[in-house]
Amino acid sequence: MTNNKNKGDLLQGTLDMLVLKALDLEPMHGWGITERIEQWSQQVLQVNQGSLYPALYRLQRQGWITSFWKTTENNRRARYYELTPAGRRQLAAEQESWERLSGAVNLVMRMSTS
Amino acid sequence: MGVLSEAMKRLSGTLRRRTAEPELDEEIQFHIDMQTEKNVRLGMSPDAARRAALLRFGGRERIKEEARDEYRSRPLEDFVQDFRYGVRSAVRTPLFSLLAVLTLALGIGANAAVFGVVKSVLLDALPYADADRLVRIYARAEDGSSDRFSLSAGAAVDFAARQRSCSRLAAFYQSTFDVTHAGEAGPRVLTGALVGAGFFQTLGVPALVGRALTDADAATDARVVVLSYTAWQRELGGDPRVLGRSLRLDGGSHRVVGVLPRGFVGPMGDADLFLPLDLGPVLRDPVRARRTHWLGLIGRLAPGVTVDAAQREFAALAAGMAREHPDSDAGRTATTMSLRDAMVGDTRTPLLVLMASAGLVLLITCANLAGALLSRTLSRRKELAARVALGAGRGRLVRQLLTESAVLALAGGAAGLLLAALGLSVLRELALPTLPAYAELSLDRGAVLVTSVLALCTGLAFGVAPALSVSRSDPQGVLRDEARGTSETRRSRRLRGALVAGQIALSVSLLAGAGLLARSLWAMTVAPLGFDPDGVLTVGVSLPSSQEYATAEARVRLYEQLEERLRALPGVIRVASASELPGPVMERNGLAIEGVTWPEGDGQPFVLYASVSDDYFRTLGIPLQRGRTFGAADRADAPPTFVISESMARRYWPDGRALGARIRLGPDVNAPWAEVIGIVGDVRTDPARPEPEPMAYQSVRQYPWGNRAFVLRTQTDPLSFVRPFQRELAALDPGIPIRRATTLRAFLADGLAGRRLPVVLMAAFGALALLLASVGVYAMFANMVAAREREFGLRVALGSPRRAIAGLVLWGGAAWMAAGLAGGAIGVVAVARLLRNLLYGVPPSDPIALGASVLTLLACGTAALLVPVRRATRVDPVAAIRE
Repeated sequence: MTNNKNKGDLLQGTLDMLVLKALDLEPMHGWGITERIEQWSQQVLQVNQGSLYPALYRLQRQGWITSFWKTTENNRRARYYELTPAGRRQLAAEQESWERLSGAVNLVMRMSTS
Repeated sequence: MGVLSEAMKRLSGTLRRRTAEPELDEEIQFHIDMQTEKNVRLGMSPDAARRAALLRFGGRERIKEEARDEYRSRPLEDFVQDFRYGVRSAVRTPLFSLLAVLTLALGIGANAAVFGVVKSVLLDALPYADADRLVRIYARAEDGSSDRFSLSAGAAVDFAARQRSCSRLAAFYQSTFDVTHAGEAGPRVLTGALVGAGFFQTLGVPALVGRALTDADAATDARVVVLSYTAWQRELGGDPRVLGRSLRLDGGSHRVVGVLPRGFVGPMGDADLFLPLDLGPVLRDPVRARRTHWLGLIGRLAPGVTVDAAQREFAALAAGMAREHPDSDAGRTATTMSLRDAMVGDTRTPLLVLMASAGLVLLITCANLAGALLSRTLSRRKELAARVALGAGRGRLVRQLLTESAVLALAGGAAGLLLAALGLSVLRELALPTLPAYAELSLDRGAVLVTSVLALCTGLAFGVAPALSVSRSDPQGVLRDEARGTSETRRSRRLRGALVAGQIALSVSLLAGAGLLARSLWAMTVAPLGFDPDGVLTVGVSLPSSQEYATAEARVRLYEQLEERLRALPGVIRVASASELPGPVMERNGLAIEGVTWPEGDGQPFVLYASVSDDYFRTLGIPLQRGRTFGAADRADAPPTFVISESMARRYWPDGRALGARIRLGPDVNAPWAEVIGIVGDVRTDPARPEPEPMAYQSVRQYPWGNRAFVLRTQTDPLSFVRPFQRELAALDPGIPIRRATTLRAFLADGLAGRRLPVVLMAAFGALALLLASVGVYAMFANMVAAREREFGLRVALGSPRRAIAGLVLWGGAAWMAAGLAGGAIGVVAVARLLRNLLYGVPPSDPIALGASVLTLLACGTAALLVPVRRATRVDPVAAIRE
């Protein structure tokens, strides 16, 4: 149902970066992270929910995010994730290298071949 | 640091697991609920919305599993997985695994077996209370001819009266003797021991039943006896009412007053009966008091006294006695040593040699396996790198490699234990006659424990090198680098080379040791004995010291009648008897020569001595060289005569005038001079010594005392004459038992058993080492050639002759072998030094033994090199380049 040609699969390794980015603004729970990424990408990027939670635990283990339990506005208990200072530095580093890479790819793709 | 903090996180993850599990469930539930709500907002029915949410989320359990993997370690599951993986990878390379397990089993098995022996001899407690405080005091000849001599009764009593080092001291007859027991089922020969006052109290051994002998028993004339546990069981069927029972021993009646605990062995050796020793009559006899030497002396050190201090005191006391009794005690001093050292005796050096050999073999085994695993790891580098790239932690890989080698090591250890059990039963056959009496060879818990620890340490030790090389390697580089593929790094090649050189060094040391021992055994075996031992039966006969045989006439009559009857048996060529057969332990007597005074301070020399029947020399084929042997003229009442050996004649009459000289043998200074009537060929009494010792013979008619050994030269199998012998003896007196009926060959072989043991074992270890080292050389260079196949192919393609390629490999091998031999030179020197005391007739630097060992090693090493060299020269340049 979601497999639309306009919807891109996440590149391997970019999920972690996107999760960090999604948490850059404010702490958020897992569901919120999916929603935020889809929203920001204008529904182009679909987060595979199956890989989201392993990614969250991985990032925690690497010390880039931490988690805590909090009640949502709808009065439900949810686990919120939050960037650590190390995570913020990691995000900056990944963002920079991503921009360099995508810029380079763009340069190549825009080259007129005529 | 990184690994440590990682481990801490995982550990705390494990601890958190119980709370994390429901939390993860709750989190997932929350996610699905939110998705359902969203779907409803988008216009789905609640049911469809929920289904769609679940579908979108995917396999819930799988996600939980993956998430779980991210935050916790599973030590047990990991171990089981590693273990199974280890077994699987072992099964996948059956040849490698079989070789690894087999080499390990050999190395570990040899060690466990030898350790079993060493432990039972050197480490296990002696069967006495507080045995570390017990010492034995020996007499020692100052000219160095004998350093563990027995004491005279006078000296023993003087020591006991004057010394202060020991809280208790006890004398005992230093050997055991035969006692005839008139049992219900016929006469039996038992082994007797004579122990002085306080013997059992000094050792701290109480009786199991009844009482041990006490001071009172020796002083009174009461005929009492204490039995060993074995004798109680074997001879009396473990009779519970044994106390007070009377035994007929040597024709006299003795009352049993006690039974000793199981496993008790005295310093005189295994004995069935312990009788009280009364020194009173001996001390009153001026001849026997100080001139017969037959006592052992043990003491329990007083608190705070060391063996060294006791040694100084007893030596000082001995010096005082030599001044007081210059005619009997001159030239003698005292040696004090711990009772264990005294009982371990000459077995210590061979045992340590064995232990060292087994240890060397284990080292070679480890080096070999480390090398093999290293090259296996190299060929698996891609696999391992792929696993790192797929997310396996380095620590996890290292752990897995260690588990793999531990699996191999444990399998090797288990097989090794089997081999050890097997080896011990062989050792038991081979070694028991040469080990101290108290030693019980068994693979006990200690040996098994040591073996298991050894196996595990070995596994971990040889697993570490490959594991380290993995954790250092860069997975991307390995995966990408197609061209260099499995080529070894310079560093790991050098490590392998060093391992091979080390193996060669150890092997050449072992081989040199084996060669030296074998040469020495060869020298002992081929040196002529001086008599012809083939086709001869020997049977021991001991007359009971009862009334019936109390006189010399009665004894001689019996001996002559028996010889007469035996001579009449069809198939018997010659018959004779002697007080003792040529053997490593023989009686010695002090020598006096008329008109000769021994130099001051040297004391009297002692020569071997036996009394023989007239036909003895002819029966054994000992040639007469001058004069005559004994004949009918040498009656008991005729002037005493002696026949002496060639070396005795040469040593004491260098001018060649031995014949007709007058000598006296034995302690009695008032005995009449006896004439030397003949000189016979030398006999090597101790087959372990290539040089014969001076020896004197007397006629049985003039000295019919002691035991007798009959020798029969027969036409057919000597052993088939045992029964006829028994029949003829029984016809004369059914009450006399025979003992130790065997061929003279077998009797002599027993004397060499102690020498053969280290030779056989060291040769076995040497062969093992050689095999392992050859495998090591082969494996290293086969691997090297395989790794450099492409390079060789290129060289050939560029015009290098194949001979040059062969030379390249050969030189590589030769260099490492040379390095190994150079290192081995140190080992050879150490081994030769260690073996020095075990060698006879061969210098420790014997060029034949050393040269042969080096050549053998070179030959095997070269043979192992040839296969890889051949392979290197056959590299197909086209295939190598296209690859």
